Amino acid sequence: MVNISVTVDQTHLSAIGDVAEALRARGMQVEQVLESGFITGSVPDDRRSALTAVDGVQSVDEQLDYQLPPPEEDIQ
Amino acid sequence: MIEPDPSSTFGNAPGLVPDGDSSSAETTGRYVVVFAEGDNAPSAVLESAGLSNVADSRDFRGREVDVSETSGADATVFGTLGIAVVSAEPEQIGALQTSHEAQGAVLSVSPELVHHVLQQAPSDYLRGYRDAVEDLDTRLNGGNGRAGGTATAAAPTVPIFQDTAQFTWGLQAVQANSSSWSGRGIKVAVLDTGFDSTHPDFAGRAISTRSFIQGESPQDGHGHGTHCIGTSCGPKAPSTGPRYGVAWEAEIFAGKVLSNAGSGSDAGILAGIDWALTNGCAIISMSLGANVPQVHPPYVAAGKRALDRGTLIIAAAGNNARRLQGNVGFVGTPANSPYIMAVGALDHQLDVTFFSARSLAVRGGQVDVAGPGWQVYSSWLMPARYRSISGTSMATPHAAGVAALWAQATGFRGRELWSALVQESDRLTAPSVDVGSGLVIAPQ
Repeated sequence: MVNISVTVDQTHLSAIGDVAEALRARGMQVEQVLESGFITGSVPDDRRSALTAVDGVQSVDEQLDYQLPPPEEDIQ
Repeated sequence: MIEPDPSSTFGNAPGLVPDGDSSSAETTGRYVVVFAEGDNAPSAVLESAGLSNVADSRDFRGREVDVSETSGADATVFGTLGIAVVSAEPEQIGALQTSHEAQGAVLSVSPELVHHVLQQAPSDYLRGYRDAVEDLDTRLNGGNGRAGGTATAAAPTVPIFQDTAQFTWGLQAVQANSSSWSGRGIKVAVLDTGFDSTHPDFAGRAISTRSFIQGESPQDGHGHGTHCIGTSCGPKAPSTGPRYGVAWEAEIFAGKVLSNAGSGSDAGILAGIDWALTNGCAIISMSLGANVPQVHPPYVAAGKRALDRGTLIIAAAGNNARRLQGNVGFVGTPANSPYIMAVGALDHQLDVTFFSARSLAVRGGQVDVAGPGWQVYSSWLMPARYRSISGTSMATPHAAGVAALWAQATGFRGRELWSALVQESDRLTAPSVDVGSGLVIAPQ
């Protein structure tokens, strides 16, 4: 499984629920549907490429991780 | 004998008006009158000062003003600009500056200057000489050009800005300490490690908190978030010590998108942005980033959609440079999105800090502005209460706080707010790839 962010294109923002349903049907485990046009969740590696074909999907990107230094570091 | 170029304004500290002798400027004998925007017709105001023979540029509809046709006139009015060029007796000029009719209708009356084609650029020899002097100055005086150019300037042996009993150096540098604006009525979201709601400096403030980290409350367990909220929105009069917060009356939205261990991912950050947009925040401050030298598509869409809704996202350029080792680093994601403002970090002398990342050579990958990011004093988790740390993470909330002041002062949002921040920033002699358009400056 890989964690992904799906960016929904501008014209499908009002129908983002339908886009999420279509992504679920293609094997994505949807965790969040954000009104500003993002659907986050995870998908098996071999099914990831199928998601880009869903109507209304602008891009499918692997989620990046962010890490701050420990609190005691001088440079944050 | 080679003389220094007297017309050069380089070598002046940011914010200082260069010494210039405008009294020696060549004038035409006419005057340029600037009218206030309003109901009073410029021609009526001019007539009240005894200037009746007025030509109006709008009479030349669709073609340029022909000087030969207006040369007999006392005044030529450029109606679209609200400006007139006037030939007048001294008493008529006096009337335009002081009469009852002119009160409020006339903004300024100035001598019309003669402009010439700009002087030829210095020859290669002169340019080489100048570069050598500047290089020498940088090596001997620590640079930023402030000691260069004139014989009177002393070498800066002490930092230019210092923390005082009243204000942190950062507030002084961005001129927040003298600003008459407070951020009142402006919602600022800080997406970080949350907020220490037990901190006494924020008692009574309007603060909304929300955690996007599973299993963790919005309470800050790291300190980074509380520090960034302190810089952007901390109080005018802290419980003890100097003032450290820029927009002291802004409404705070503290979104926890990084865990107590300082880690997070796109899902939480995008959820935090979505939450800030839903709540109508004018500014989203994100002191976070990943060292990824590519633009990450979700933040292109998020930044653009935020601007479309009147929300400006400001993010840290990143701390991945090691300049003493010759590594200038690069702006990572999300700050390298074309629609997210990237902030670099300056030290007390307004030099680029050794860790502050340089522009990434892709569209949007540039550093846009810079802010104080060296030994920044701000709020920290109780019981420590305060702490000084460095980073582009600390420069970012300075810019976000200044943005809140501009949002309040101008009513600008989104792209207009971005433009105001860039336009009003103090230009630095540091390379634009490191500081963008320079040091953000608060409205006064």
